[in-house]
Amino acid sequence: MIEGEQIMHMHKFEKIWLTFGIGALIVFLTTVGVSAFYLGNKPPSCLTTINVDKVDQTKPFDKPGLHKVEGKDWDYELVYVASAFSYNPVKVEVPLGAKVKVIATTKDVVHGFEVAGTNINMMLEPGYVSEYTTTFDKAGEYLIVCNEYCGAGHHLMSSMIEVKK
Amino acid sequence: MAKAELKTNNKTEIEDSSSLKGTLASVFLLGAFIVVTWVSVYYLFVERF
Repeated sequence: MIEGEQIMHMHKFEKIWLTFGIGALIVFLTTVGVSAFYLGNKPPSCLTTINVDKVDQTKPFDKPGLHKVEGKDWDYELVYVASAFSYNPVKVEVPLGAKVKVIATTKDVVHGFEVAGTNINMMLEPGYVSEYTTTFDKAGEYLIVCNEYCGAGHHLMSSMIEVKK
Repeated sequence: MAKAELKTNNKTEIEDSSSLKGTLASVFLLGAFIVVTWVSVYYLFVERF
């Protein structure tokens, strides 16, 4: 038998599962690519920096809370300042269906910012600004918790978003 | 003098053990598991805000 023939031979089943595997890879990577380059999704902390000692004097963190904005792709900006062991503001009401850009940072150590039951889940690092834009299209109360261990009062850190008509 | 017998009529049967049916089944079971879990997590992501 010629050696080459043995090497070149590929079983029919092998062709089937290789096609399936490569096809699945293409589908998954296309989804990620469309999300990043067409929908514009990016990591929450994406190169925006801040002087960690002057957070309270730096816009927009001098006025934490919900603010209506004009002429932007989103209707509201929801600004949070996290510090050991609380969030400012503690409670916010957001109108149902509002497109909101959540902007948050920390004044001291690394904190988490997870709005439980939603896709808003960011790490807040000292010196960096984390952002996430989304449409609040389901009414209800959403608890914000810290999911990065930040010290003795870590479990006490919480805030609340109420999405209302 | 007798010559050593080189040719025999006995054919050596080589059993064909190259069936890949089981492999195909397990590959697609694993593939289906990966696709189902991926799609369900992606659905969760799309449904939430």
